[in-house]
Amino acid sequence: MASAFLYTNCTITNSTLNIVGGGYNPQKGDVMIIIDYKDTRPIYEQVVERFKALILKGVMQPDEQLPSVRNLAMELSINPNTIQKAYTELERQDFIYTVKGRGSFVSGDGKLVETRRQECLEEILRLVREVLELGMTKMELTLEIEKMQV
Amino acid sequence: MIEIHNLTKQFENTRAVDEVSVEIKEKTVFGLIGTNGAGKSTVLRMIAGVIKPDEGTVAVDNMPVYDNVEAKKRLFFIADEPYFFVNSNARAMEKYYSGIYEAFDREEFYRYLEKFNLDKNRKISTFSKGMKKQLALLLGICAHTKYILCDETFDGLDPVMRQGIKSIFAKEMEERGLTPVIASHNLRELEDICDHVGLLHKGGVLLSRDLEDMKCNIQKVQCVFSAVEDELKALNGLEVLKKEQRGSLCTITVRSTREEVEARFATVDTIFYEVLPLSLEEIFISETEVVGYDIKKLILG
Repeated sequence: MASAFLYTNCTITNSTLNIVGGGYNPQKGDVMIIIDYKDTRPIYEQVVERFKALILKGVMQPDEQLPSVRNLAMELSINPNTIQKAYTELERQDFIYTVKGRGSFVSGDGKLVETRRQECLEEILRLVREVLELGMTKMELTLEIEKMQV
Repeated sequence: MIEIHNLTKQFENTRAVDEVSVEIKEKTVFGLIGTNGAGKSTVLRMIAGVIKPDEGTVAVDNMPVYDNVEAKKRLFFIADEPYFFVNSNARAMEKYYSGIYEAFDREEFYRYLEKFNLDKNRKISTFSKGMKKQLALLLGICAHTKYILCDETFDGLDPVMRQGIKSIFAKEMEERGLTPVIASHNLRELEDICDHVGLLHKGGVLLSRDLEDMKCNIQKVQCVFSAVEDELKALNGLEVLKKEQRGSLCTITVRSTREEVEARFATVDTIFYEVLPLSLEEIFISETEVVGYDIKKLILG
């Protein structure tokens, strides 16, 4: 589960920034992400997912600028090519757009949330079918949903 | 680009490097991994022009390296045990290196020394092993060469320093196109930072591929088949690198893409199956097991 965002107080990142110091300019409203090194998935996939979560939850607004490849790579101490790959993928999935010479920005259209809702719904219905086949009734299922604290 | 073609080096009776051909692209992080004694250091030394190949070629940006200052100017080599002049301190080494490398950034060097808490006046012989490696790395980074060759350099650094150096590498890669070549045993680390990995064993290249590709083309499947025929049907035609069975649970490592594996398993009756990603360490072990470098064999005979 993507732990969505934080304004870092991660010790390693702070010491790193202290060391690297000059040249790292946190931009106004920089939102930072954490990488879980124990996760066996490729790092760029994690970066993609974290940003997607931030965008879908509205933490990052349309047209908001993402950190530059250079800055994010320095901050997370990872290969800039990995960040670039993540940004390329985010762009391919229409979550962000890139302006040459200026950087990458969150996509403007509200379709992203709608698309994700649709994806989730399809997945839920698939599981609903399965659980109904396993003997649960629609009534029981509805009750479970009502009980959810959201 | 660094192009290595059929590189061979023999020391007395040992063929340390055996017809190695590898391409190292610019602005990528190249990881050189290998079993012990596989020839990693020797390859790096030939790239650096420290050792002359017996056969084959090493070209840095299309120039042969050995005895060629034009080519060597573009490289900085950090040995696994970095050498410093006797009785020298960081300042003395800086003077030496800035005399050799035109683009050496002195201000940057002293700034980093301070940030890493390394005393510029202190005798390097009194530094710990890790501090010596840190110093060597800082000298290399500030020399501003296009390529930096690190022979098991990261392995002696503490976690905070490692993150610091990786951040600096990221900065230098983006700002001036630094191309790091890193030989290491720490696969978990390499996995995080490399674009491309070359695996050496007994002097030869077992594989040299983009990390992404490598991970895409080898899969681990844990499954329980309903019947033996299903197992045969699923694995038919697939290159199986390893198969372990515990009771009815099979763990199979295959050379294949995830899509192909899932397509296969969709056609077959299984009680359960799961495709798991492989870590670089597991890939290393699988690939070297295929050629007989099997720890169980070594220990259990």
